[in-house]
Amino acid sequence: MGLSAPFWPSIQPFDVRRSALVIIDMQVDFCAPGGWVDQLGEDVSNTRAVIGPIAEALADARAAGMVVVHTREGHKPDLSDLPANKQWRTRAHGLGIGDRGASGRILVQGEPGWQIIPELAPRPGEIIIDKPGKSSFYRTDLEDQLRALGITCLVVTGVTSDCCVQSTIRDGFERGFECVLLADCTAAVETQNHLATLDILSAFGGRWGKISDRFAFRQVIAGAGRGG
Amino acid sequence: MPRSGPALAHKSVAADPYSWPFDGQWSSGDTALLLLGLQQCAVDALQAREAVLAARDLLLLAHEQDIAIYAARREAGPDSDAAPAAWQWARDIALPEDAEIITHAGDNAFYRTGLEASLRSAGIRNLLIAGLPTDGLVHATQRTANDMGFECLAISDACAGTTPARHAAQLRITIFGNGLFGAVADLAAVRAALNPA
Repeated sequence: MGLSAPFWPSIQPFDVRRSALVIIDMQVDFCAPGGWVDQLGEDVSNTRAVIGPIAEALADARAAGMVVVHTREGHKPDLSDLPANKQWRTRAHGLGIGDRGASGRILVQGEPGWQIIPELAPRPGEIIIDKPGKSSFYRTDLEDQLRALGITCLVVTGVTSDCCVQSTIRDGFERGFECVLLADCTAAVETQNHLATLDILSAFGGRWGKISDRFAFRQVIAGAGRGG
Repeated sequence: MPRSGPALAHKSVAADPYSWPFDGQWSSGDTALLLLGLQQCAVDALQAREAVLAARDLLLLAHEQDIAIYAARREAGPDSDAAPAAWQWARDIALPEDAEIITHAGDNAFYRTGLEASLRSAGIRNLLIAGLPTDGLVHATQRTANDMGFECLAISDACAGTTPARHAAQLRITIFGNGLFGAVADLAAVRAALNPA
């Protein structure tokens, strides 16, 4: 798409010790057959198409010893952290957050649909963030954990680009993290909204986040390993 | 803000993708107008006078209705090359004396400000949102408000984006999935829903 060339690697020197790979909401409910989005009859091909690319980026990050963060959107079983309007909007689809579907209660912690898909299962030692909102920073300890580890750069992947990914990048920028979105490791249900998100992120010269891809990510990791 | 008697409920606003607010419950007592980034530098950079004039009309309407007004502005940072005057409120905007002013450093009126606490303590649950740019401060602030559970309505013609395409796309994303981030309406729809002042 020609979007990555002007931006990456703008963060120099790239330091794998100060960078985290963030994988957003790759949960059954969003991107697996039988999950919530699939049960709604919506097309999960876009969100499924990025599983392989994310797995590659994840393997590279693990090999480089980078911090890895997995997020899960979900609510407590008593739904005490679910805003009334959020529940109402999802119920308009016929099957809302908290309702029981084929993969358990939709986006409820502990349910089968809420789990991260097996292809991208977290390993021991990796950070898992449970979030009630769209932003990975809202009512989570993500910022504290990143600061404690000295992380300053977030390499962002996951779904969906127009929703939780965009919220996390905006909030990451606000907190002073350098954010880079791997465009081939993120997707939206509607391609139009995905492309619009990439265009929006290019506003003000990429102030909120840069755009790159997994190949450039691999190269920059290799470069960082040789440099210092 | 001094209020006289209990606030009357307004009619639902004809909005996309649903009649706003979701539960039909809004009055001048539980609703605030958030005016975001209506600073002359932004108006000039985005050539957004038309949106500012709509925001001005919205402000007048809201004030007539005794709806609380919050106006957020970005501080001029030390690396800003804009003249200090450029960071002032837009020339077309005259804030009422009882408007609450929020000053923020970045592109989100909630981050490290007292905005949420102020809205909560005032009993606000619904937000009318307008300002500049649609795809910057406005949408970032609306996303945070939405995560907080506020019921948000972006007033489309009282916002302008960094480009017209991004403005339209950001509002399209706002209403995706039956309103992931709230609803969108124009000024006329808000006006039609309000009780006679």
